Amino acid sequence: MHPLDLAVVVAYVALITYVGIRFSQRVKTAKDFFLAGRSLAWWVIGLSIIGTNVDTNGYIGASGNAYSIGIAQANFEWIGAIPAMIIAALIFIPLYWRAGVYSIAEYLGLRYNQAVRVVAASIVVVMSVFAMGVAMWALAITLQTFIGWPIWLGILVSGTVVGLYSVAGGLGAVAITDSIQVCIMFVCGLIIVAIGISDAGGTERFISKLTAENPTHLSAYLPADHESYPWHGVILGLGLVLSPAYWIGSQAILQRTLGARTQWDAGAGMMFAALAKTFVPLLIVFPGLLALVMMAEIEYPDMALPWVIKNVLPVGVSGLMFVAIIAALQSSIDSSINSTALMITRDIRHVLIKNHNPDADLKIGRLLTLGLLLSAMSIAPYIGNLGGIFNFLQSLLSLFQGPMLALLLLGALSKRATGTGGIITLVSGVALAGILSWVIELNMLYVAFFTFCYALPTLWIISGFTQPHSAEHLKTLTYSPWSAR
Amino acid sequence: MELPVVWANYISIALFLALGVGVWSIPKSAVVPAEYENQSWRDLRLWATGLIFFQIALYAYFS
Repeated sequence: MHPLDLAVVVAYVALITYVGIRFSQRVKTAKDFFLAGRSLAWWVIGLSIIGTNVDTNGYIGASGNAYSIGIAQANFEWIGAIPAMIIAALIFIPLYWRAGVYSIAEYLGLRYNQAVRVVAASIVVVMSVFAMGVAMWALAITLQTFIGWPIWLGILVSGTVVGLYSVAGGLGAVAITDSIQVCIMFVCGLIIVAIGISDAGGTERFISKLTAENPTHLSAYLPADHESYPWHGVILGLGLVLSPAYWIGSQAILQRTLGARTQWDAGAGMMFAALAKTFVPLLIVFPGLLALVMMAEIEYPDMALPWVIKNVLPVGVSGLMFVAIIAALQSSIDSSINSTALMITRDIRHVLIKNHNPDADLKIGRLLTLGLLLSAMSIAPYIGNLGGIFNFLQSLLSLFQGPMLALLLLGALSKRATGTGGIITLVSGVALAGILSWVIELNMLYVAFFTFCYALPTLWIISGFTQPHSAEHLKTLTYSPWSAR
Repeated sequence: MELPVVWANYISIALFLALGVGVWSIPKSAVVPAEYENQSWRDLRLWATGLIFFQIALYAYFS
């Protein structure tokens, strides 16, 4: 690594650590730690949401996919995100914020029952520990590739940096550092676009070079018989089920909106994130297309972004780009750690331990944050060997999305859904998803769509035969803007 | 019979238009707090409309 690039990296680490630790002085209570004392402004929320959302898969994997399938990869940022983000901003986030909850699982507990709360929180917690290990491992691999650090050193240094501000500063520090990290990511993305277009001889030449050899690379959708991304599956599975389930149900994403200073800031934060999300393909799709236009000699598609960094960017900027990749990973790890600690502290501990002491939440939250970080760091070196288990857990989380979306939609938009209906639908929906996924071996996009189609009427019908909550109880837990408040 | 791929773009555009209709069916009072009533930039339905039009333009272009 060039000394100038190294200086950029060191300056970044120092800045993030300083900002994070400085912010930690504001943390006095569990509410400060988990919800930033409900003080976050809309623009911090928006940037932090994008920082949490874009991870290694987003950066390196999406560039590789774009190299293979073209602009169709951007569907994950457009129809696979924007409609759900708008609905989240206008309907669900105001609802969660008014309910005064710390987590989506807590909302489900109030709206349905505590069994739904614990099941929902437990699945996410188990998955998150492995996901953090994978992210930490990816971060170490990136450090090894660019600066030659051994895996253990990469894990130790990156874990320590993330730990310094996450353990001390909680959500506030996480959100502020995420915001800085996203700004760095966008600056680097725009530099790559500018240099790439310029090197290709202008936009028109870039497009003609790209489409000469790859005529479908500027088509938003791929044919219906495409193995991985058939257009029906993308619209039905991704657009109508997986994306809404993620954007209205992901704790790591939504936690910063629950920490907003006002209800308006919460919704506006998500809307601002949607605006930024529209341009995320410039960061993660364009490098893949650029590698193709510049006829990069790479062994496999995921090498597209590293090739662009090495061969297109000038000294100093390549260091900044390296920082952007680290930033993408760190901002996902820190958010995941904070939200997981919250769910264990409140959604599992508060429900299962009857004599819990709420005053101990801050101390326990910090200890759990540290413990989760150390767990992720311990798992990370072995993640390659745990690949099978991780894929299984990732499939399990996908199985959860269709039924979960049905619970959130009917729970928020109707007073009919009941606790009994909720838990039966959740458990039977996940079982059905398992059969469709592992016995019939259906594409995951279709599994999500069909389980959602099963769960929605099932919840509706079972709820008709079981006891609902009182209208008074549901007043702040259901969305009814057309009725007088 | 298979629909041509370009229909995916048309369906996407139709979905975004339907979303736009849904957005404007939400009363202003549910989106803008009373204290910000005179600040039209705080109406999140306008933000949503801008985003929807931009998405429609993208799916019309990449068809």
